Amino acid sequence: MTTLTQGSVHFDGVVKKYGAVTALKRLDLKIDPGQLVTLLGPSGCGKTTTLRLVAGLEMATEGKILIGGEDVTHLTATYRKVSMVFQSYALFPHMTVRQNVAYGLTVKSMPKAEAAQKADHGLELVGLAGFGDRLPSELSGGQQQRVAVARAIVLEPEVLLLDEPLSNLDAKLRRHVREEIRQIQQRLGLTAVYVTHDQEEAMAVSDRIIVMKNAEIAQEGTPGDLYEAPKSEFIADFIGDANLAACDVGGVTDGIASVRMDGLTYQVPAGGLNKGAAKMVLRPHHLRLHSADEPGVKGVVSYAAYLGKEIQYTVDSPLGELFVISGVVNKPFAQGDDVSVQFDANLARLVAA
Amino acid sequence: MKRTNVISAAILMATSAMASAALADELNVVCSAEQDWCDLMVAAFEAENPDTDVLMVRKSTGETLAQVRAEAGNPKIDVWWGGTGDPHLIAAEEGLTQPSGVSTDELLGWARNMSDISEARTVGIYAGALGIAYNSEILDEKGIAPPACWADLADPRFAGEIQVANPNSSGTAYTELATFVQLFGEDEAFTRLAAVGANVNSYTKSGSAPSKAAARGETGVSIGFMHDMVKLAASGFPLEIVAPCEGTGYEVGAVSIIEGARNFEGAQAWVEFALRADVQSRAPEVQSFQVPSNSNAEVAPESPDLASIKLIDYDFATYGSSETRARLLARWDEEVGDPNPQE
Amino acid sequence: MKRTIFLWLFVGLVGFVLLPWHMTDRGFTSFDWMRDDAPSTGLMLVMQGGFWWLLAPLLAGLAAAAIQLKIQTPVQRSKLTLWAAAAGLFLTALQGLVIVRAGPRLFETFLTGETVMGGQPGFGIGAGVVVIALLFVLTNALSQTGKGQGDAFVVSMIGLIIALVAVFVFYPVSHILVRAFEVQGGYSLTEFFPRFFDSDLWGLGCVIGSRSCGTAINSLFLATLTGAGTTLLGLSFALIFTRTDFRAKKVLRVLTIIPIITPPFVIGLALILLFGRNGTITELAADLFGMEKTRWLYGFWGVYFAQLLSFTPIAFLVLIGVVQGVSPSMEEASQTLDADRWQTFRYVSLPLMRPGLANAFLLGFIESLADFGNPLVLGGNFGVLSTEIYFAIVGSVADPAKAAILAIALLTLTLSAFLIQRSWVGKKSYATITGKADSGQNAALSPLVRTACYATALPWAALTFVVYSMIVFGSFVKLWGYDHTFTFAHYVRAFGMDFSNGWRFSGVAWDSYFTTLTISTIAAPLTALVGLSTAYLLVRQKFVGKDAFEFSTMLSFAIPGTVIGVSYIMAFNFPPIELTGTSIILIIVFVFRNMPVGVRGGIAAMSQLDNSLDEASITLGANSFTTVRRVILPLMGPAILAALTYSFVRAITSVSAVIFLVSAKHNMATSFIVGRVENGEFGIAIAYSAVLIITMLAAILLLQLLIGTRRLRRTDRVQQPA
Repeated sequence: MTTLTQGSVHFDGVVKKYGAVTALKRLDLKIDPGQLVTLLGPSGCGKTTTLRLVAGLEMATEGKILIGGEDVTHLTATYRKVSMVFQSYALFPHMTVRQNVAYGLTVKSMPKAEAAQKADHGLELVGLAGFGDRLPSELSGGQQQRVAVARAIVLEPEVLLLDEPLSNLDAKLRRHVREEIRQIQQRLGLTAVYVTHDQEEAMAVSDRIIVMKNAEIAQEGTPGDLYEAPKSEFIADFIGDANLAACDVGGVTDGIASVRMDGLTYQVPAGGLNKGAAKMVLRPHHLRLHSADEPGVKGVVSYAAYLGKEIQYTVDSPLGELFVISGVVNKPFAQGDDVSVQFDANLARLVAA
Repeated sequence: MKRTNVISAAILMATSAMASAALADELNVVCSAEQDWCDLMVAAFEAENPDTDVLMVRKSTGETLAQVRAEAGNPKIDVWWGGTGDPHLIAAEEGLTQPSGVSTDELLGWARNMSDISEARTVGIYAGALGIAYNSEILDEKGIAPPACWADLADPRFAGEIQVANPNSSGTAYTELATFVQLFGEDEAFTRLAAVGANVNSYTKSGSAPSKAAARGETGVSIGFMHDMVKLAASGFPLEIVAPCEGTGYEVGAVSIIEGARNFEGAQAWVEFALRADVQSRAPEVQSFQVPSNSNAEVAPESPDLASIKLIDYDFATYGSSETRARLLARWDEEVGDPNPQE
Repeated sequence: MKRTIFLWLFVGLVGFVLLPWHMTDRGFTSFDWMRDDAPSTGLMLVMQGGFWWLLAPLLAGLAAAAIQLKIQTPVQRSKLTLWAAAAGLFLTALQGLVIVRAGPRLFETFLTGETVMGGQPGFGIGAGVVVIALLFVLTNALSQTGKGQGDAFVVSMIGLIIALVAVFVFYPVSHILVRAFEVQGGYSLTEFFPRFFDSDLWGLGCVIGSRSCGTAINSLFLATLTGAGTTLLGLSFALIFTRTDFRAKKVLRVLTIIPIITPPFVIGLALILLFGRNGTITELAADLFGMEKTRWLYGFWGVYFAQLLSFTPIAFLVLIGVVQGVSPSMEEASQTLDADRWQTFRYVSLPLMRPGLANAFLLGFIESLADFGNPLVLGGNFGVLSTEIYFAIVGSVADPAKAAILAIALLTLTLSAFLIQRSWVGKKSYATITGKADSGQNAALSPLVRTACYATALPWAALTFVVYSMIVFGSFVKLWGYDHTFTFAHYVRAFGMDFSNGWRFSGVAWDSYFTTLTISTIAAPLTALVGLSTAYLLVRQKFVGKDAFEFSTMLSFAIPGTVIGVSYIMAFNFPPIELTGTSIILIIVFVFRNMPVGVRGGIAAMSQLDNSLDEASITLGANSFTTVRRVILPLMGPAILAALTYSFVRAITSVSAVIFLVSAKHNMATSFIVGRVENGEFGIAIAYSAVLIITMLAAILLLQLLIGTRRLRRTDRVQQPA
């Protein structure tokens, strides 16, 4: 039954409005089968709306939605081959863990015994074999989360949707569970759409990330693309930390821009930009601090935090406040030291001002 | 979806299967007298007419009149038996009832009168005189001399001890109002009613409530129909009944056939039956002590003896008319029972 | 989806071809037509009887079928089907309303001919099936155009409930409300306003002067205090049940149920015997403390007292589910944030109970407004709208216009309360049962709150106990209040059985007892179904005109029974819907009068269920119906129990509407009891009441066993007070 389009998700000019409020501006989107795609963005950017549109919990105001090549625009959630893991887990409190996992199977009229067997298999998959007879209230948060995942995947959906599935877990568990989710997704070859506002989580699990802002896509690409080639100030800032400094592009030759910043000229990859005002993206760990007599941007250390493997500095400079991560921990600067900030212009990126 | 359909269909069938409506050979009777008397009448009628199935329900006169009005044009009731005459007269006036064509020859004057003023649409079946009741225990305890006349009720010794219904809601109280007007003349009547009103602790909505309150000692004195009081006294309450010395009015209980009745013959048979002397004589069996309208019927010893009570010549034609009623009630509101009394 | 439409079209066809279209004198569902030669089914009437106007629904159905088969574009197909079904419904209703028993009453010039002039009886089972089939075709088509998220189940439910409320609430009530505008020979607004704003209604004499207030003000004042009082008492009980280790919870539970299972007038009577001027407690106080015997009971305080006693259980029923539903985690969270138990209660638990409190208040308020038994018995000179309305209809001067105006005043109060309640609850989320299970402990009450609960609830419980002991006592003595000789006579008269000649129910009460039980048993599940469905739609679904829909479901509850009773006769004594004299009309009046309790309780309970539970179920492939059945219903145990209990009990104990609708064949217990009380036969009335109370108590216990409690946590634990 596997076809090329099975599990694909396609949005064609989808718009969602609630009365006068536009929750989603015209959205075109293609998710390939077997991929884990993350919708990333700040609160209210439209990422959850997008997810709910895929699920069929919301109906598009305009446009077409295709899942596995089939037009499902007017199909309700019940009839779409998608499963969803909710932020709150949404485990049915009156059912045991096994009944919860078997729920989707039994509503499709699968015989009880078979459904229970499949449910147990699903629980095994998420490492909860033997927990079937408990009530959700008797499980820890992480366990409940995995039950929710098991409940979604036993249905063998074309698309698995995850709505901030880790937000209720502690940091350590979060890393563990996200790895598990990723493994299960890859093992089963599921298409998954994952919503989160945590960029690190997004980078860690995704094949592709779609960053959303103000009800539309800000940029999409692989985690590396987004980090290495941000197309806007917003992306640069949102994906990994970044220092943004105002600069001026003097001219572009062979994809290399000649940029003036704070009286100095740098040769920086143009990133498609032309002559004019721009912003330079400087990643904190690309910046190096030297004693004040060395060349570079002059500044004063206003704050220094020793973290063991690295030191985080805040430096007041003519470019503004710069955030610097230094791996050199044996010879730290102290607060109040005059420093000179250097960076490799090749690693810097330009975005439109 | 399928399951829902089945369920809704089942519900549809279940509810509709419950329904049934009247048959033609059934006689639908609304009875506004006491329940036991109603039951007795039905049993006696069915014993004589085994082919007729009497379907009787008891409702008060006000409720019956409201129902008859609402059902006008397609009535579900054939005959309305019992209850005070005024609503029967109103129904006749509004054309909601029809002449029964039953002979009234054996009846007493006041019962025939009922038939005369209603163009034979309603006939009197019993009479009940208006009277005063007092709770002997309460009056003894408080050292109050019992009343004998209407005039006594205005005496300050009864301050806060008298209970009577509001004529706007109660036919009993309206009879009292009309009786006062006929006894003393309109202006004098309102002066006297207002004087009594000073002693009234509350104007109840229901006409039978004051006597019940008096029976239980919640009030010392009540005004109402004597047969109600007799009944309460007979069941053991310390209630004494007084026929006022100035004379008193009375109500006439009536029977009417509803206009458009589906079983007119049956209704007619019922009216004939209800007017018979032997049938009327049985009322005391169920503690109903009204005075029967058939001159040949036996009167129970407990019944208030109409001969010994100074009965006024109650003018039902005048005081039963809507016009007089509206005028008197407006004046009552104005001069006696201000609907916004001082608390 | 297309299949569903065809299924309903088929059902409609069956109704038209095989079932008798009209109701007959034999009943709504008579099967005599199978024997009779006279045409009776819709089809036969059209073909043989010349009832050409009955063709409309058939044509509409056929048109819908043709559209379904022929038109390929889904949107256009749905729209056209929609129109066909709507036209069919409209024409069916129109012919029923225009051509009645006496022939046409409109368009006489156009409608001529012998058959038309001959008229027709009301709708029968055939017409009913056809109308419902067309309605569901319409809703299914509507859902296919994308309305209601394309969920046919939801759209059908909305359509059905709107249709039911329109037919069984708006249609009858409009018959009487329109009388408010009636003047001689027409209708007028100018007459209405002076009468409506009369000082008899709205006068503030008791505040600004020495006179008493208008009846509407009296009602408002009483209802506000009753609503507040019952909510407070109900909350006290609910807290004692869920947040304390009070020992006699079971006894308390029974005491909180009993007052709603008390037939009308009985509480008033018992209060008179206790607190009246000659009452037991009054006598006692007079003997012991030399207190003067007064008639304080007759008036505002007596009515208020009786209403508190009568309506607290309703508040309790609404609140217990809500109080249980408050998530322990939230209370624990509060405590970990260093709030003490009082602060936790005040700032966390109490606000989370807001929807429950608001709904409990609204119910108490409306119940108080519509209550007429207590003011009648205890009101004295304290006039309220409900009694005024009753006597405007049945009093010695019937004035339907006045009744209608008073009813509108009463509705105005209800609507205001409803709107205020809405704005107070607001749009906040009160979901505390989320899909994230928790296993914490409910916070124990702070000593202050606990003491307050005990101090309010326990005396109330004690009083209830005394009142009901007295009722039982009264049923076993010759003359309650005077002759306390022990006797079984009342029971024998009411519920005697004759074994001499086989086995016969010889008691006078049996008939009405069985009728009452049958009708209540049928009405209760229907009421719960309609009420909870409505609650589900209101809480979980978005649709146009939802607020108006919500209020319309409250209407029948807010209108006094007397008005409902009379308006039901006016509306349903004539074709097209002729139901008077049947048991259906009783069932219907109970369902639509009592459904608001199901709605309120359902809303309160459902707003505690996190939406993600529904959504999870739906994304797991369950449809809305399965979701309701397997997820929502099991989590709504207490609300269902409340709705069932309440509607069952109300069907047994309600009196005002019923008085007009009972018939000889279908007499009800309350109408029987009221008749006896009116005649001063207290013994049998009280004996009957006692039997009813026992019956209802048994039924409630049975229900509780059947439905059980929902299992949210393995155990419901309450913190031990430190």
